Amino acid sequence: MSKLQYEIPTINKIDFAMASKYGSPVKSQKIRTEIDGVEISTLIQKFGSPIFVFSQRQIEQKYNTLYSAFSSRYPDVTFGWSYKTNYLNEICKIYHNLGSVAEVVSEFEYQKARALGVEGKDIIFNGPYKPKADLKIAVEEGAKIHVDNLFEINDLEEIADELGIRIAVAIRINMDTGVYPQWSRFGFNYENGDAYEAINRMYDGGKLYLVGLHSHIGTFMLDANAYKLATIKIMQLKERVEMDFNSEIEYIDLGGGFASKSNLKGIYQSAEVVVPTADDYAEAITNAIYEYNKSEKLPKLYLETGRHLIDEAGYLLTSVWGHKRFPDAKKGYILDAGVNLLYTSTWYNFNIELDKRYDGDNEPSMLNGPLCMNIDIIEENVMLPPLDRGSVITISPVGAYNYTQAMQFIRYKPAVVLIDKEGEARYIKEVDDLATINYKEV
Amino acid sequence: MKQISELILDENNVAFHPMMGNSYQLNFLAKEIISLLKSNKNKNEIIDALYGKYDVNKEELFIDVSDFYTKLKVYGLL
Repeated sequence: MSKLQYEIPTINKIDFAMASKYGSPVKSQKIRTEIDGVEISTLIQKFGSPIFVFSQRQIEQKYNTLYSAFSSRYPDVTFGWSYKTNYLNEICKIYHNLGSVAEVVSEFEYQKARALGVEGKDIIFNGPYKPKADLKIAVEEGAKIHVDNLFEINDLEEIADELGIRIAVAIRINMDTGVYPQWSRFGFNYENGDAYEAINRMYDGGKLYLVGLHSHIGTFMLDANAYKLATIKIMQLKERVEMDFNSEIEYIDLGGGFASKSNLKGIYQSAEVVVPTADDYAEAITNAIYEYNKSEKLPKLYLETGRHLIDEAGYLLTSVWGHKRFPDAKKGYILDAGVNLLYTSTWYNFNIELDKRYDGDNEPSMLNGPLCMNIDIIEENVMLPPLDRGSVITISPVGAYNYTQAMQFIRYKPAVVLIDKEGEARYIKEVDDLATINYKEV
Repeated sequence: MKQISELILDENNVAFHPMMGNSYQLNFLAKEIISLLKSNKNKNEIIDALYGKYDVNKEELFIDVSDFYTKLKVYGLL
């Protein structure tokens, strides 16, 4: 006699408060069976679990949307790919092929850009820590140096003496744009006059001259108007500097910080509602330039957008290894990927999608990673149906920062797969092994 | 007395505990296990009964039934 179809036994206390006009949370399941036409099951079978997956199609689509929003409004705009957001070589190459220059904040990011064939003149060198030896190489190669502090001005003057040249630099400005927290750690403050003083100091020295003004007002900025205020202040400073020092500011750089469609913790409306569009950001910045430009020539506009461009193009596929019932009745799933790979889980609620529809009602569940650490919690409270060992969960958006900030801790760093425009999936980074871990140990 | 025996099961897979005033949504297998518990079957007898009837391996069934027992305990029914 054939046996009957099995279903995991489930019992859930009925909470009448959970029913609402939005429907019942015990029945709805988010399901993702493919990425760009490639089946999730195929990806896991071919490349293993866990894996990061990036979609070239989605990267290019997002880039083109944002670039069109700016280039349709402004004649001279260039994007700088923010290496720290994701510096996998194949990812950087996609952005460079689309026309991005490189925006780097350390010597190794600089070296990576050079190794990828980016010329010095197409590298923006940012950040608060630029060791003199690296700074000198960047100067020799014609990189765009964005000065962060007075010590750097001293270092640059020494380099100018050593090379017998005057060095063109830009300066980073921080300012109040009405957003909290105000980023004041980087560069020189606008309101208290430090920025103007620093520029004055440069011209007093006679070895540096200013060609650019840069600001980066924050991250995950949900108010496009803040960029309007930043642009106005930058344009006002530009006018004053050009007049006082008889110089020409060739470019302004409004940095990054445009939000992605991720769900920031503590914000209860969906990202679709609260995140400004590419047009919102573009309009805020370009309108302010036109309105406040007093020169005959418009400055070149640089943007260093990272998160907004890549976050939604990145996915983490992870498999259920086991589950247990906690004393508070919550179901705890042990996954093969944890916070070691999801640095941004501290700030964002991810989309949690299942590989198929599962029988049974949803119940409060916790997603834990494989680390033997109590903090390894990807989602503390998510409604999920009973999952099986081997069920695959797709976590997104994770394209920004998660790979670059992933810790090599307890488990090997996973492989990364790119699905190209033709829908072909291939490794762009293989899984680490013991040789990776032991490399450079003596 | 264990509270599980007080549960009233209906044909829509809803259970009601009159003294506690709580209602529970079950699936068919949960309903079957509760019926077996109400007839004083122990865990091993329940696993054997289900294993003979459903298409599932015994090790997996043990995990699922154990999980179900823990949840009944949390709800104060066992």
